[in-house]
Parts: sequence; structure tokens; C-alpha cells
Amino acid sequence: MKNINFTCPFCSLLCDDIQLEIKENYLKPINSICPILSTSLKKKVDDQFSRVNGKKTNITKAINELSLLLKKSKSTLFTGMETDIKGTKAALDIIDKHKCIIDHFSSDSYVKNLKSMQETGGFFLTLSELKNRSDTIIIIQSSGEELPMLFEKYIFPKNTINNLKKRKVIFIGSKVPKFLYKNKRKINFEYIKSDSDDLLNLISSVRNSINLQSEEIKDKKILNFLELLKKTKYGSILWTASELQNDVSDIIINELNLLIQDLNKFTRFSGLSLSASNHILTVNEVLLWQTGFPIRTSFANGFPVHDTEQFSTKKLLDNKEVDLVVWINSFNEKNIIINKKIKNVLIGIPTHSQKNKVDIFIPVGTPGLDHNSHLLRVDKVVSMPLKKIRNISLPSVEQVLNKVKERIANDN
Amino acid sequence: MITKLQNARIYDPINRINGKIRDLYIKNEYIIEKPKRNEKISKTINLKNKVIMAGGIDIHSHIAGGKVNLARLLLPEEHRKHLYSSSKDLRSGSGLGTCSSFHIGYKYAKLGYCAVFEPAVLPSNARSAIIEMSDIPFVDKGTYTVLSNDDFLLKLIQKKSNQKKINDYVSWILNSTKGLGIKIVNPGGINAFKFNQRALNLDEKNKKYGITPRSILKVLTKSLIDLKAPHPIHVHGCNLGVPGNVNTTIKQISAVEGKPMHLTHIQYHSYDNKGDRKFSSGANILADKINKNKNITCDVGQIMFGQTVTASADTMSQYNNHHFARPKKWICADIECDAGCGIVPFEYQDKNFVNSLQWAIGLELFLLIKDPWRIYLTTDHPNGAAFTAYPRLIKLLMDKSYRDDEFEKINKHAQKNSDLCNLKREYSLYDIAILTRAGPAKVLGLNNIGHLGVGAKANITVYNDKKDKEEMFDNPFMVFKDGNLIVKNGKIQKVFNGKFYTAETDFDKSIEKEISPYFQKYIGRGMESFKIQNQELWDYEIETENIRCNRNDY
Repeated sequence: MKNINFTCPFCSLLCDDIQLEIKENYLKPINSICPILSTSLKKKVDDQFSRVNGKKTNITKAINELSLLLKKSKSTLFTGMETDIKGTKAALDIIDKHKCIIDHFSSDSYVKNLKSMQETGGFFLTLSELKNRSDTIIIIQSSGEELPMLFEKYIFPKNTINNLKKRKVIFIGSKVPKFLYKNKRKINFEYIKSDSDDLLNLISSVRNSINLQSEEIKDKKILNFLELLKKTKYGSILWTASELQNDVSDIIINELNLLIQDLNKFTRFSGLSLSASNHILTVNEVLLWQTGFPIRTSFANGFPVHDTEQFSTKKLLDNKEVDLVVWINSFNEKNIIINKKIKNVLIGIPTHSQKNKVDIFIPVGTPGLDHNSHLLRVDKVVSMPLKKIRNISLPSVEQVLNKVKERIANDN
Repeated sequence: MITKLQNARIYDPINRINGKIRDLYIKNEYIIEKPKRNEKISKTINLKNKVIMAGGIDIHSHIAGGKVNLARLLLPEEHRKHLYSSSKDLRSGSGLGTCSSFHIGYKYAKLGYCAVFEPAVLPSNARSAIIEMSDIPFVDKGTYTVLSNDDFLLKLIQKKSNQKKINDYVSWILNSTKGLGIKIVNPGGINAFKFNQRALNLDEKNKKYGITPRSILKVLTKSLIDLKAPHPIHVHGCNLGVPGNVNTTIKQISAVEGKPMHLTHIQYHSYDNKGDRKFSSGANILADKINKNKNITCDVGQIMFGQTVTASADTMSQYNNHHFARPKKWICADIECDAGCGIVPFEYQDKNFVNSLQWAIGLELFLLIKDPWRIYLTTDHPNGAAFTAYPRLIKLLMDKSYRDDEFEKINKHAQKNSDLCNLKREYSLYDIAILTRAGPAKVLGLNNIGHLGVGAKANITVYNDKKDKEEMFDNPFMVFKDGNLIVKNGKIQKVFNGKFYTAETDFDKSIEKEISPYFQKYIGRGMESFKIQNQELWDYEIETENIRCNRNDY
């Protein structure tokens, strides 16, 4: 038994202050209460077989089968895409050459941020700025479930460079998360109860007041909020796209980005989207630098074509616009959509519950557990190095896909 | 294997060869002396009527990192205008100013460039930026790490820490981020903007730390000299883009008291505020100052007309410029207690007074600064224009009649406010070889590139000798990188990656006893996760070329 330092790969905070107890390949966190970490480490790997049509086989055979499917396919979708930088690079190499489409598990909510960035831009900050700079933090309807340690580490920190005492934390939404109540003493807490429509009204009124100074505000709630914004020296606004009411979430996010830009006319404000589940930001960054476009991009024409509506996994599968789908998930057992009328491949962790239901299943290790890796943090600026700590002989997504590429090249 | 390049006209200023017809010999990756009789020459290429220079070096071009990716995200419409198909050996891609990574490499190679330096890597973003750069093929690369606004350094200066401690910190940063150089960006200003200061002059105090840009500039300039770093301090000064900023730039030159300093994209720092529009050229004043101060080198950051996007770590200036965004959208960010960034799309228009004058100011600087060894050709890609505009810029410098014709097309009021048409100087091919090869290599302290002498890397560009210099430089006949033919007649022949230059420095390890708790307490991650290990680079097949800090001409 020994203890090691560990950087956790299971959410986009990538905490590097974790101590793990290791006994053979059994891993137990010593100093962390993070629920995602403890659940993720509990999975016991007792079957590492690949599968073709639900039958156990060796990995070489499964890779050969995948290579054949890819060669035969007229239109392939790579989705899920829960992998690291190297896994994304290897996937893009194949996607580009074989004229495939790329999407991700978390695109549905992330594209709402994306569209606003493409339309408006924004003013953003990173985690250590949030921790050290913000005297006021406004949280828009975020439960924090995607990033469990965010609040403890960055919103209620013990030490800040600017010696911030009792910062103001305002929660705007329909239900205050428990952890905020629990930590009320550490902060100067305020709750503005609001559903998505109220929220939109609140932001628009504040924006009008800033931009059209003649506009008189009568609503006390809005007036108070405006006063608070004006008193703020450095404020941050945090939101989670997936937790906003779906039909207005696009508009809310865009209004938030515009509001933050507006507020900088007289004070300092910046924003941070907390939508980063399943490491979509890692995949998106690699995609951007290699192709110039973000997630939901097709290479069917030989060059990248980006369309957030046209290349959604659900739409492509529902309409059978592809004949092969390759799901990648090297972190968790998130369910995949299986359309029996097309070929389904899963490159996933060996405990995945749907491994017998797909045409081909290839087990892979988890970045930062089974191989060295790099992942991007929720703020997109910091990438963290992760190290192999477990030895159960599982290949990485990169290794599997490079073998597929090799196999196709040898056949040609 | 030995290749002989026969009968070419060679321009190699480091070896003082000005257009002589000579033969060159390549063995594997390097240029060698004439082989002995018993050595077999495997291939002879007759280059009669061709012009040969060393592979080009771009000393300042924003090719990677978070800011470039943000710009890509912001401007899908620009990427849709420039789409590149995949082929058997080449990847697909898109974009021009914020071109996707593989095509940055392809495009530089096709222009005959063999080394490019990313000049604004934030310490916190260095790892991602370097991994991104591993997807830029062909060219050798390196980075300058941005310092001058991080809270740790500012606190050291505030506490009047001794120079040795600052040097240890600078050296630690270079090592940890795998930088070749250190770049100052609006010293103290990016940090001050986080405290809502909207401008910061050279002698104005940062609200939080009570220190001035001058003090930061002096301390960091001295630091790189003390460390004998390959490249002197690389400076993007205060007040970028502000009318009247030429006076600040002059003061900055005086502030370093004769010590070596590289001033980058000086075009943006050469504005006077005379005339009825309170915007005029300060090129004359600045050129005069640079001509007199031999310790100063510079690159221009020429603007060229058309759509581009500006991307900078200077959040304070970029926020001020967001009103000029075209299309009307922009991004700024406060980053990791070390710096920031701002992305503002721009369309430089030849009928616009300010843009026209900016264009003229850049050219005036090129023509008024006398010593070509101290001025280098850049557009501050993509801020002034994409690097693909270099051939046209070279034509503007080499061909007065073309320049005059172009001058006639710009805003009339700007014409009246510029001396450009009175400047008769025309650059020669030898001068261009200095501006784009020899000069950058020298100021970067890199001895094995930028020339064609024995022992140099066989990075060689062969041009068709054409009267139209834009055509000539736009489409080299052949390009060799490390002895491999990578481009012939505009077609890419073989794809591989270049090396990654880093500075190899020493520092007193005890500095980590202060840095480590700082990271633990404030930054939210450990110091060890911040430091980039060599193993990580090898994992991405990045081959480093470590340049020892032993420069002895400071």
C-alpha cells in the first residue's frame, strides 16, 4: 500500500491536490470529499475483452473490424468524444482523412455558449482570477454538480492575493444549492429568486439602464441589483448552460455576455461558463486549432463545414444521415444512443454497461489513470498534465485509433 | 547524402555574400564545405538564374495559444471564406489571420520561411500553446513568455527584492514554460486594468502595487542581460495605439539607459497627436531616436489593408479598441493572475484616415530606420495583416514606383500628413535577406539559422529572379528545410516537424520555496503542475533545441 499525489481527470477542475491510497489497483481518495472522484474510482475492472457483435474477442480483431467498417462507410460520425488531447488528435486524423463528422456528448448545451461567442464575444476570466480578484460573484442557476469542488476551492477560499474579506455571493435562480446555505457564514450571501423569464427581464432592464440612461427603473428588485453592480469593484458572473430553461437559454447567455461587456464601461466584470462536462473544452480546443472550427463540424466535403444544428448527433442518428457511429468515452459510463439500423461502435471504458449492445466494443483506459495525459480546465487557459497511476494494460484512445489508421493504410 | 546546389546567386548577409554566384553543399541536415574528391555527390541541382537565401525567420507572429483559438472561435465567417481541402498527405483546414495549425506550417513553408516565433505565451497557457504548436509542421518554433503583469513578479518589485531574486524568478519562468525569450506587454498595465485603471503611463503607479511601468521595464531588461539570455527583452510598450504614444516610446528607449531592448510592432507605438485630427505620424521622431540608440532593435508590425483580427495580451488596450471592432464583436479575458488577452476583429481600410496613416507610418519607419540589422519585417501577424502579405510588403519596400502608386490610393488627408512619397530609399535583395533572415537570427541569438555558412541548418529558399518582387517572394521555386526539399514550385513535397527552441538557464532553486506556497495558496494548483517537463514535450514528439544562456555581446 502506498499514497500518491494525483491529478483528478473526472471533471474539468482537474484538481491536483488529491492524495490517493493505492493497494494493488484499488484506489481510494484520502483527502477529498468529491463525489465524482469517489464514484469514478469505485469501478472495478474485471473484464477487459473487446467485443464484436456482443461476443468476446481480442483487441486486434476488434480493431480490424472497425477498420473494415470505416473503409466501407459512406458517412461516419465520431461522437461522445470523451477523450484527452492526444485522443482528439488521433480521432481528427481519421475524421479528416475519411471525411467524417465530429460531435460531442455535451454539445447540446455547449453550443449555446458557442453561438453567443460567435455572435457577441464576451469578457471572461480564469479560475485563479475568480478566486483572487472577485469581490462579488453572481451565480446564475448553477448547482455546481458538474464541478463539485469549484465553490470550496475558488469561491470560499481561505487566502486570496487581494485579501478579500467576506465576498458578496449572489445566487439568481429558482433553487439555491445546499452548499451555498452551508457556507453562508463565509460569505455575504444574497438570493434573488428568479425563473428564466424573470432573469431575462432582469438582465435586459439592467442593460437598458446602462446603455440608455434615460430609461427609468421602477422595479425595486432590479434597482437594487443595479446598485449592487455599480458598487462592485471586480465582479464575476457564472452560469451553466444546461441548467437554464432550454427555450430561452440562448438568449439568456447572449444577454449575459452583453451585460458583462456593458458593465466594463464603468467597473470591472467578467464571466465564466461552467459548461465543461465530459471534457468538451479539451476536444473543442484541439478541433479549433487543427481545423479552425469548433464542435459539430463535418469533413464530408474534404474541408471543414461547421453547423451547430445540422451536425447534432441526435439529428444525424434519428434521420440515419450516417451509416456508422463511433462513440468514444474514456472516463465514464454515460449512456450512448444506439440506433439499430446503423453500425454502432463504442471505444469506451471496460465497465461500460452497453458494451454488449454495440457492433464493436473496444475497451480503453482512462487518461490520468491508465496513461499519461493532458486535459484542459474549465477556463480553457490551463491544461494540466496527468500521470498514469494504474497498471491494468488498457490502451489509450490514441493508441487504438492509431492502430486503426495503420490497419487501413496497410490494406490500401 | 550530399546535394550540390549549383550556380545560384547567393544573398547571405551574415557571411557577407551579396549576390555572388556560388555552389552550396548540403549533407543531411546541414550546409557543408565543398566535399573532398572521394566524397560522392548524390544529387546536383542547377540553379542558374535563381536567387538563394537562407530560410526566412519570423521573429514575431501570433501562431498559437489561447488568444488565437479564441479568435478562431469568434470568427467562423472568416474561416468559411478561406477553406482548404485535405489531400493524400495534407490535412484540411481554414482561416487566414487565424489560420488552422497545419496550414500555418504549409503557408510559411510555401513562402520560404523555416522558423517562426510565437511572441505572447502566457505562463499559465504555455503548455497548451506548445502542444498546439506541435501541429504546425515544417518551421522551427519558439516562444517568448509574457511577464510584467503577474502578481508574483509585481509583488517582488514592490518589495524591492534584489535583482538576483528577480533573475532567479525570470529564469525559473523561462525554464518552467520552455520559453526562448521574455516578453513585456504593457508593463503593469494589464494588471492595473484588473483594478479598473484605464490607462497607465510609463511613470504612473499601478494602484495595487504602487510601482510604475518604468520600474518593471528596467528590472526585466537588466534581468535578461544578467542571465545572458539568447534574446534581449522583447517589449510591447505602454499606450499601444494611443495618439501621442511616440513620446512614451521615446521615453522607454531612454529608460533602459543603453541596454539592449527589442521593441516590437513599433508601428503601433509611433503615433503623434498633431494636426486637426489629433493623429499624425511620429515615425520621424522614433526613427531618429532608434538610429541614435544602437542598443535598440525593432520589428515593425506593418498594417496591410483588408480584414484581419487583432489578438493581444494587452487587455487594457484591446478593451479601449473594442469600439473599432469590425465585425462588431470582441473578446477580452483576465487570465490566471499573470496577464490577459483581447481579441478585436479589424478591417483596415485604405479610405480611412487613421488606417491609411497607420499604413504609411509603418512604411516610413522601414525607410527611415537606417540600419537594416536592427529592424525586422513583421505584420505582427495577424494584428496588422496575415503573414501571407509579406511578399507585397517586400515589394513596397523594394519598388518605389509601386509604393507611390499604392500611396496614391490611400485617404487623401492621410497622404497630406505623410512624407512617404518623399522617401526614395529602395531595399535591395541583400537588405531583404537581413530583414527576414540574418537580422532576426542575430537578435534571437540563434547561430545555426539565418545564414548559409558551413554548419548552418540547410534551411534554404530558392527564388525565381523576377522583376515583380511580390511574385518572386510569393512563390519560391524551391524550399529546403533541414536539407529536405519541402516545397517545389509551390507544391509541398514532404511533411515533417521542425524543432522547438528553448533557452537553457540556471537559477537558484531556493526561489521555489517562495513560488511553491504562492501557487498552493493563491493559484489553485500546485507549482509542479505549472512546470512543463521535458517528458511532456517528448510525448508530443517535440524535439527541443536548447540554447544555452551565454550570450556575450550585451
